[in-house]
Amino acid sequence: MTQHLFLAWRYVVFHRVKTIILVACVSLTLFLPLFLNRMISEFETQLMARAESTPLVVGSKGSRFDLALHALYFRGRTPELLSMGDFQELRDSGLAQVAPLFSRFSARGYPIAGTTLDYFDRRGLAVAEGEMLSMLGDCVLGANVAAELGLGAGDHLLSDPKNVFDIAGDYPLRMRVVGALASRGSPDDDAVFVDLKTAWVIEGIGHGHKDMEKAPDREAVLDRSASNVVANAALPQFMEITEENAGSFHFHAEPEDLPITAALVWPNDDKSRALLLGRFTTGADEAQILESVEVVEEMLGMVFKVKRFFDANFALVAASTGLFLTLTILLSLRLRRREMQTMFQIGCSRGTVFWLQACELLIVLVISLFVAVCLAALAGASGDWLMRQVM
Amino acid sequence: MRNVIAWIGLGLAAAGLLVGCGGGSSEVGSGARPERARPHVYTVNYPLQYFAQRIGGDAVEVVFPAPAEVDPAHWMPDRKTIKAYQQADLIILNGANYAKWLDKVSLPESRLIDTSAAFKAQLLKVEDVVTHSHGRGGEHSHVGTASHTWLNPRLAVLQAEAIRDALARLEPGKAGEFESNFESLKTDLLELDAAIDASIEQDRDRPVVYSHPVFQYFQQRFAVNSRTLDLDPWGVPEKEELDKHRKLQASHRHDRVIWHADPGDGQSKELLRIGIKSYSFQLCSNAPEAGDFLTVMQSNVKRLKQAYQPAQ
Repeated sequence: MTQHLFLAWRYVVFHRVKTIILVACVSLTLFLPLFLNRMISEFETQLMARAESTPLVVGSKGSRFDLALHALYFRGRTPELLSMGDFQELRDSGLAQVAPLFSRFSARGYPIAGTTLDYFDRRGLAVAEGEMLSMLGDCVLGANVAAELGLGAGDHLLSDPKNVFDIAGDYPLRMRVVGALASRGSPDDDAVFVDLKTAWVIEGIGHGHKDMEKAPDREAVLDRSASNVVANAALPQFMEITEENAGSFHFHAEPEDLPITAALVWPNDDKSRALLLGRFTTGADEAQILESVEVVEEMLGMVFKVKRFFDANFALVAASTGLFLTLTILLSLRLRRREMQTMFQIGCSRGTVFWLQACELLIVLVISLFVAVCLAALAGASGDWLMRQVM
Repeated sequence: MRNVIAWIGLGLAAAGLLVGCGGGSSEVGSGARPERARPHVYTVNYPLQYFAQRIGGDAVEVVFPAPAEVDPAHWMPDRKTIKAYQQADLIILNGANYAKWLDKVSLPESRLIDTSAAFKAQLLKVEDVVTHSHGRGGEHSHVGTASHTWLNPRLAVLQAEAIRDALARLEPGKAGEFESNFESLKTDLLELDAAIDASIEQDRDRPVVYSHPVFQYFQQRFAVNSRTLDLDPWGVPEKEELDKHRKLQASHRHDRVIWHADPGDGQSKELLRIGIKSYSFQLCSNAPEAGDFLTVMQSNVKRLKQAYQPAQ
């Protein structure tokens, strides 16, 4: 057998162009399903890990998928708003730990997530460089954001305005980067984190400006009475929160009316979970509660339906490659008739000739499998990067 | 040939290893608080520190980090101090919009205790505030809630109750000790309440001026016949300020001012010229130079007795 392998090896090495073409065909046919399976498995693992680490999500009524994508992955359409009053009610129920989320803006394309320090504790997020949020106007960057923008503690990052033509609308805020988070291989790596109050400042609900009671009339003051001062909508507001002007920042709403886009809920136990789910089943409530795993499984169900089409496609490609390989071998046998004749004449049996052919095919298949597995492994090693491109 | 087979085998094994190891993520710490022998409790003013210390005893370490010379209501802690607050096991807030700096910093929501949440409906709104409007959101004001809740000792008892409950959740094994300490504090506060009431009862209808808009809960609790001016205890009163008194005297015949801090000689002497005597009532927002919350309040009671002494 070793002799057969030796002769077959010498043959495939001598006819290297033909061998390379055959290996490429078979490798690619094997690589694609291997790669897709790996990616889907990675996709499922990442999505499910995030869902499992956030058992419940509360948000405004509407698309469940939009809410899950927004609250868990900072993606998709922003759901309708809830109020801090809703959040406080959940928190004060004593049934769960709750972290609010307000994410409607971006900075250089990366979502800005406004939340509280409890979010970082619950997610196990630690600062790799610099420090955690302390003051209004601070931001910490996800690991990928810091790497891709080349920013770190001490730098500044400007929020993206939603509408540059609305002078009375949201002003971009120049945020102070105070740290970068360690990578967790999760959507947190691709977000910019600020305190909830900073997110409200970006939204335009909170702002800082000169003391209007003391401002001279020429500075955008339209009307002044004993109890009210009315200013032009274009009254200049501070675009950066510094130690000097921080005191002038204030919010235009009662604390319980301030908005959030979702609340992430970690129930204390199964009973608390059941009680919380029960609270939102009346239908009269303007909020809804999601079981993250259930919604993500539903989303993945759709992905797996699409995968079935790909699987059918691969079966057809594999069949055509097998036929192509058979044709190549048959044609090769015809071309090598004189070579076979010579082998008979020097005393080789029909079995030996068969085994020589079989070994050549085996070598091509083994090399192809090796190449396909290596390619899949390489693709898998850059799975995080590929997943980020997909998501 | 054996070499060829060996290389292929090695290659397959390496590929398998790569597939097995690919896609993993590094493990990082959760940023948990340091292990401590006793829980650290931070407060936003001195009265809360005193209450927490009385209730927690040796079981907790209570910290109020504001420098002695600042008014905690208008103080702004530096980053280092904010970090210390963030590392605390419990952060006790006064609520009622006290300590404006809380709107400007990031603190862990789950460790905040609002001691006035239980009597939110009883919080007093501050009137006569200049509002302003511009752009979206319309007219609004920046101030709206009276915040010196502890000047009504009955509300202080409710705040102490909130502290007791929070400490009991933090250290359930010591709930009995906290309860017993709370009862002792409650007794002291109710005695203080009775003593203040008795002092004022001498001449409750006497018209008196309070020097700063911080006495709202005190004025409400003890139903004093009072008006409030915004006066500077340390300056020498200008003619305008003396005119304020004269104008007010037309409708509110006051001959006494209760100051929120010890007035300077300039104030006392100038006011005495127009027949107004000065008495101080220490707010005790920050740690006193000597004594504690209770002794400072007892001194206040002594001065109140003089201030409300009926005219001979």
